[in-house]
Amino acid sequence: MAEPLQTSTEAPKQEGGFPPFKTETFPSQIFWLVITFAFLFVVLWRVAGPRINGVITSRRGAINSDIAAAEKARGEAEAASAAYQVALAGARAKAQGLAEENRQTLNAEIAKAKAAAEAEAAKAMAAADARIATTRVEAKAHVVKAAEEAAIAIVVRLTGETVSPAEAAQAVKES
Amino acid sequence: MAMTLTPMEQFEVKPLAGMDHPLFQIAGHPIYFTNQSLLMVIVAIVASLFLTLTVKPGRLVPTRGQSMAEASYEFVANMIHSATGEDGLKFFPFVFSLFIFVLFSNFLGMVPGSFTVTSQIAVTFALACLVILLVIVVGFMKHGIGFLKLFVPHAPWYLLILLIPIEVISFLTRPISLSVRLFANMLAGHTMLAVFAGFVVALGSAGGIFTGLAIAPMLLIVAIMLLELLVAFLQAYVFAILTCIYLNEALHLHDHH
Repeated sequence: MAEPLQTSTEAPKQEGGFPPFKTETFPSQIFWLVITFAFLFVVLWRVAGPRINGVITSRRGAINSDIAAAEKARGEAEAASAAYQVALAGARAKAQGLAEENRQTLNAEIAKAKAAAEAEAAKAMAAADARIATTRVEAKAHVVKAAEEAAIAIVVRLTGETVSPAEAAQAVKES
Repeated sequence: MAMTLTPMEQFEVKPLAGMDHPLFQIAGHPIYFTNQSLLMVIVAIVASLFLTLTVKPGRLVPTRGQSMAEASYEFVANMIHSATGEDGLKFFPFVFSLFIFVLFSNFLGMVPGSFTVTSQIAVTFALACLVILLVIVVGFMKHGIGFLKLFVPHAPWYLLILLIPIEVISFLTRPISLSVRLFANMLAGHTMLAVFAGFVVALGSAGGIFTGLAIAPMLLIVAIMLLELLVAFLQAYVFAILTCIYLNEALHLHDHH
């Protein structure tokens, strides 16, 4: 069995035949295949496989946690934005309320001032009316007196007679 | 040396120089350390070192080597997942080793002066038998005697008389087709390269105008070499995917039909 294999180094062609079909080489081939394949299998199974798998898993974990962190940050940013919007809306509503209140107080003050001014004007008008009335009465009285005096003077100048003021007043009244 | 070079000489399994005596005997068979043994040892060591040393735990941004190791890992993992589903992943170490062993054997066999481990039918047939044995063991462990339903397709009884023997024969020829496919591809490619290399030598030493013509087979060798690189990967892939498909049948019988 060993004989042809040993001579094969010197003269491979002499044996003839197709090299892969030389059965005397099979035991050595199978033996070394078993050894080397078993070695490779154990290394890949126990060392290389877990090592590569570990890297791939940790990378996937890192990517996932990064994505989760980014997701969380986005959520926070969105929450902050929403809170800002709420605060903004609140401030706007408050400002509008203040403006409205101001306007109402102003309107009330204006109305009060207007009412007071109107009341004062009405009072002044009434006082003026009264003054006008008294003045008219007085004026009327003055006119009557003047007329009486004028009448006395006219009578004196025309007739030379003197008339009493009472008579003159009577005459003026009758005229 | 060039005179004795024949296309088939590269497939000669012979003890390394100075190791002409058998290391020991197993059941009367002498065991030598041959050129092929050396390449198998190199394949196992190079593949182990490559897949272990390029990968550094915790290095999330991979280097070129780590990227290749990870890519091969995920390539096989995805292959198993798509061919057999989730429960096939427990065979990952086996399929991964098979793929890596065949792939590195094919690629290291491309190095001029080395030896192509997978161009030996003994090696490919042994690997194919390992696959089929695993399939049979897994099938019977998972389904018991029901695993034999693998040979009974859904068909009327009168067709089964014909179909069952066909199924049995197709199952029994699997190790042959699996091993011969790989073996023949590697053998044919390397033989072709050697034949064209012989042309280059013959034309080159013919003198005159023939010396210049030697460039034609030389260019062909380059082209075939590129093709062989593709075949080297493709055959490793085919070997692994067929293993997955056979395992899938052992796990799920004809469920997917």
